[in-house]
Amino acid sequence: MSSSATQLAPKKQEEAKPKLAVLLVEDNQFDAELVLRALQQSGYDVSGTVVQDEATFLKALRANPPEIVLADYNLPDWTGMETLNVLLREGLDIPVILVSGALGDVTAVESIKRGITDYVLKDGLARLPQVVRRALREKYERGLRHLAEEDLAKKVDELARSNADLEQFANVASHDLQEPLRMVAAYTQLLAERYRGKLDEDADKFIGYASEGALRMQMLIQDLLAFSRVGRNATPNRSIDCNSVMVEVLQTLSTPIQESGALIKFDALPTVCANHTQIVQVFQNLIGNAIKFRGIDPPEISITSEKQDGQWLFTMRDNGIGIPKESLENVFVVFQRLHGRTEYPGNGIGLAICKKIIERYGGRVWVESQVGNGSAFKFTLPPEPADEFKREQP
Amino acid sequence: MKSGLRLLLVDDNPADIGLAREALARCVRQSEIISLENGVEALSFLKRGGMYADAIRPDLVILDLSLPGCDGLTILRAIRGLPELRRMPVVMFSTSRLGRDIARCYESGANCYVSKPGSLNEFLAAVRSIEEFWCGFAALPPAID
Amino acid sequence: MSTAQVEILLVDDSKEDVDLTLRALRAENLANNIFVARDGEEAMDFLFCSGSHAGRSFEHPPKLVLLDLKLPKIDGLQLLKRIKNDERTKNICVVMMTSSREERDLAIGYSLGVNSYLQKPVDFTEFRQMVKSAVLYWLAINRPPLNSGGELLGTDAAHHTLTGHTK
Repeated sequence: MSSSATQLAPKKQEEAKPKLAVLLVEDNQFDAELVLRALQQSGYDVSGTVVQDEATFLKALRANPPEIVLADYNLPDWTGMETLNVLLREGLDIPVILVSGALGDVTAVESIKRGITDYVLKDGLARLPQVVRRALREKYERGLRHLAEEDLAKKVDELARSNADLEQFANVASHDLQEPLRMVAAYTQLLAERYRGKLDEDADKFIGYASEGALRMQMLIQDLLAFSRVGRNATPNRSIDCNSVMVEVLQTLSTPIQESGALIKFDALPTVCANHTQIVQVFQNLIGNAIKFRGIDPPEISITSEKQDGQWLFTMRDNGIGIPKESLENVFVVFQRLHGRTEYPGNGIGLAICKKIIERYGGRVWVESQVGNGSAFKFTLPPEPADEFKREQP
Repeated sequence: MKSGLRLLLVDDNPADIGLAREALARCVRQSEIISLENGVEALSFLKRGGMYADAIRPDLVILDLSLPGCDGLTILRAIRGLPELRRMPVVMFSTSRLGRDIARCYESGANCYVSKPGSLNEFLAAVRSIEEFWCGFAALPPAID
Repeated sequence: MSTAQVEILLVDDSKEDVDLTLRALRAENLANNIFVARDGEEAMDFLFCSGSHAGRSFEHPPKLVLLDLKLPKIDGLQLLKRIKNDERTKNICVVMMTSSREERDLAIGYSLGVNSYLQKPVDFTEFRQMVKSAVLYWLAINRPPLNSGGELLGTDAAHHTLTGHTK
């Protein structure tokens, strides 16, 4: 045993004994030694400092920040609770454990409410090591959580910056790119009109290619902008009755429906929670495609829905030309087209837009199809919240 | 049938002025067209100052928003600020579709606002529509001299 | 049709002229959202959301006001002055449509800020053509001021369907 001094020198270390720096607030020398010995005996390599008043406490704290503070509740000039205030002032997150002779239950609970990590009675020091271990473990876990939160905050920041960049790019594309393009498109077309047949055959061909290229580029940029705009400035989600969406879409597509002799039927469709414009876009693009990519017969399109895993699963079946197996996933990629420009018009953005919209709602979209045998486009959307509640009622 | 208008076109893009002239050339009535690529010059023209002392008074001004130096909105306000030009019909003709730009033009006294379409045919049609309305049925204000 | 969606406010006390105008618009399929006011006071109530039109909001002004000069109760020029001098209504497109051939009325109208001025032809066919031309120009070609700011991108399709262009 060392001599009575306020500083106890660390014992000679064995291999693999965990170190523990303790700051002990205790005015009774004997009690102090008992506490430190309890910790040593449990396997810690303890280095302890003992103090009795605030000034010395503060000095010790600053000189050598401990991992844990053990404080007696009842000191003549100073209570163990006040160590908490000092730690708070110093901005230190160090667990404080009350080691006290007598501590009523009420006081104990109060203390913990105010920030004491735990307490141990002086005649129950056997518990002290496990209390210390638990306090240190909780602090460690707190630290981990903090790091995770900081990491998340950084990622959110990066994401926000990346989004701002994208928006800036979209704005540039929408103005600065389109202006010179407008000139090229307009004047190649004027050239074509004014000089057709007046120069030679090659000239007509060259001007034609240039003009078509410019016009196509104009449409591509507009489609790309439409794609990038999905999700921006959207009005908040509300209950959308898909039946009225269908009515709206059938009205918009009335001309192609009439021209193709299309027959479109749909079951009673559910109500979903979404943005009206976007749902209209999804239905319009899918039905429009079904009409466009028709076979020899007039298009027959059917739309059904069923509840699956808490989501609404929509199936849109058509009798069109179908999609080859290798391309089933490609069809949803921006600007991917399966056919020549002269066979079927369009830029190949409709399905990409559908996918982006549906995925915004946490849904999935895919297609089952066979060449010559039509296609079934399937997608999921979230139900209206009240609906979920109604379903769970017995 | 009425005879053609005297039109002042103010646009810093000679290509767009070319397109406008092409559109107007295809109209039944032939208009007299003066084009200027700079807002300050256009203002001098309208005020008949300096080298423009003998300039004609146009019946209609077609004014772009984005001009070098002094933008279209400033020119519009300057036009409306002059007593002899307060009644001059001004058609804003611009690629901008921003609600903010359109509102500001009306605030500053534009008679109307036409967006420059992106395709050739629609551009030509827009310019022709301007001519058809303002030269056709619209009654223009009497000149203040 | 709720009055919130009115696109054209026609202010004219002449039954024949109102008839002609509505027929001209119906022939072109443009007559869907028109409100007719027979005197200046009703037009005033309509535009200033007061009196019998107190339920209307300033957020949904008509895209076009066709205004005759000679009106009972409040006359055309007075109404024009009120419209163009009030922050809430001054940007509304007002086109004077009147039989008056007085240069003075023309001059005052433009000075007060009327967007355009039309002299009603005597001939029925010409009258119809004028109405058609004017409404096509002010509803399809012209962009009216919107009350909210922000981009109009995406409304081009709706804007141009009147003229038969599709996107």
